[in-house]
Amino acid sequence: MSALLEIEDLRVDFSRDGHVTSRALRGVSLSVGEGEAVGVVGETGCGKTLTGLSVLRMLPENARASGRITFEGRDLLALSTRELREVRGSRVSMVFQSPGTSFNPVFAVGDQIRMVAERHLGLGRKEAGRLVVETLGSVGLPNPSGVMRLYPHELSGGMLQRAMIAMAIICRPSLLIADEPTTALDVTIAQQILRLLRQLQREQGFGVFFISHDLDLVGDFCDRIAVLYAGRVVETGATGALLARPRHPYTRALLEALPGRAEPGTPLPTVPGTVPTELDGAPGCAFAPRCPLVVDRCLQERPPLAPVSNGHASACHRSDAP
Amino acid sequence: MSVTIDSPDQLPAPYRSTGATSRAFRVLRRKPSALLGGGIIVFIAFVALAAPVLAPYPAQGRGLADVPARDLPPSSLHWFGTDHLGRDVLSRVIFGARPALGVSLAVVVLAVLVGVPLGMIAGYRGGWLDEALMRVTDIFLAFPPLLLAMVISALLGASLLHAAIALVISWWPWYARLARTVTQSLKHEPFIDAARVFGVREPLILTRHVLRNATTPILVQATVDAGTVILAVGALAFLGLAAQPPTPDWGLMVADGRTTVITEWWISMFPGLAIFTLVLGFNLLGDVLRDVLDPRSAGR
Repeated sequence: MSALLEIEDLRVDFSRDGHVTSRALRGVSLSVGEGEAVGVVGETGCGKTLTGLSVLRMLPENARASGRITFEGRDLLALSTRELREVRGSRVSMVFQSPGTSFNPVFAVGDQIRMVAERHLGLGRKEAGRLVVETLGSVGLPNPSGVMRLYPHELSGGMLQRAMIAMAIICRPSLLIADEPTTALDVTIAQQILRLLRQLQREQGFGVFFISHDLDLVGDFCDRIAVLYAGRVVETGATGALLARPRHPYTRALLEALPGRAEPGTPLPTVPGTVPTELDGAPGCAFAPRCPLVVDRCLQERPPLAPVSNGHASACHRSDAP
Repeated sequence: MSVTIDSPDQLPAPYRSTGATSRAFRVLRRKPSALLGGGIIVFIAFVALAAPVLAPYPAQGRGLADVPARDLPPSSLHWFGTDHLGRDVLSRVIFGARPALGVSLAVVVLAVLVGVPLGMIAGYRGGWLDEALMRVTDIFLAFPPLLLAMVISALLGASLLHAAIALVISWWPWYARLARTVTQSLKHEPFIDAARVFGVREPLILTRHVLRNATTPILVQATVDAGTVILAVGALAFLGLAAQPPTPDWGLMVADGRTTVITEWWISMFPGLAIFTLVLGFNLLGDVLRDVLDPRSAGR
């Protein structure tokens, strides 16, 4: 499988008045193959959304990204704004967390999707309209030509998310970034949206960059998983291997904290402490202060992301600990 | 491909049309005051257009004097009486609708055309451009608008056109401010980011996504302002800084009758009532537009 998206040593710094105030990403390396679904997990503030936004260069004004993001052979960080606009929505598109606020409330849903199609595919109004109806149908919306004329507030959350997906896939992108696409939805609808995404992925063969805090969800959906902690990838591997034999203590802690795996009647295990926020941090492993397996070396020397088995890598000095 | 429905209750209620026209009718049905506001404006606009036909004494509406018939109280011949020069007050009130509507619309439209683009660019771009533009508006806003208009109007020379120019100069900063505020709050809405993610060009984001969302507050403000402008033009005319005699201008007519308002009350009262009615109409209309223009208010 050739790499569709290759993120190398991505660093994002936030600064104010010329001073760096936070280092949000500290060298993230990730890749998504053609037609592959890669999940990025981690707790709030670990940098997963920021990684997704970096791919589209949608970072806030006070953020600066460095590193390399190669997509279909081009470095996205080096594109001109004009070239970037051609990629956005057409080759790479995104499904957002809250469908309710991602549509402009004063335009009919169909019109907004049609604008994207007209913009990127060079279609006339009529042809684009037909394509919108067809696409709305393909995401499982009943009566697509009726839905097309409705305003965002007239659709339910689940239907809006379907429409959002229609907008994202109408130009047949090769990469779809899904940032917590089901978080705002209730559980049954969330399952349907995931099923829909998987079905579309099978049909159209786009790669998915799936951002979530929910390991269960990512485990269901993705071929590969990358676990992010404090702006770095701490473990990555094929879904099955990673979930069955997590090597990084942080991944283990996340898995233990899942409600489905807990002993009924006992309190849910949690990961004690919070993500460190210091600017340059201690020299050692960022997880050391919260780690049950911590040894002296962890505080001195930051462990690199090292392969532990085929395609499975972990950034821990004690990856081999039982 | 098979079509699936999330659940039966997810099917949208009847696929009803929610165009502005149907919303307008729904609002009109629910709010009788809407009908009144719209009715007043339509009525006065009709009067302005058909003035030569409606006025019982068209020549006097244009200012021709008939001195022997002066200061007559309201009667079946002169419904609103006659003024100091024997002109029919009703005819002059009817003709007065023209400058009143014309000036108020022209001032508001021009002020919007100048202020809104500047405010939107300032709000969207931010930075030094924003600072510079806002300091300029600060200078204008530091003076009471009517005072500023009086000074400008006095400098340019008293005429209706100059009064209108003066009012545009003192009014546009308010629209720049409003447009800037609205743009700033819209700029960080997720749907603006979403538009960018889908490759929409910045100018198109401004003119389509931002402007369309800013239209409602701006139009509502403009409608209410149209009433305020009429008051301001009336005040300027009253002070002799706008229309000059023998123009049938409501403000001028009120000023004309002020010395004899106790004895010949009709000379000031009827043009005064006309000003009151038009301002009321604009205010009621502004209220209604808010509901009609916002698709989200349709169901409420």
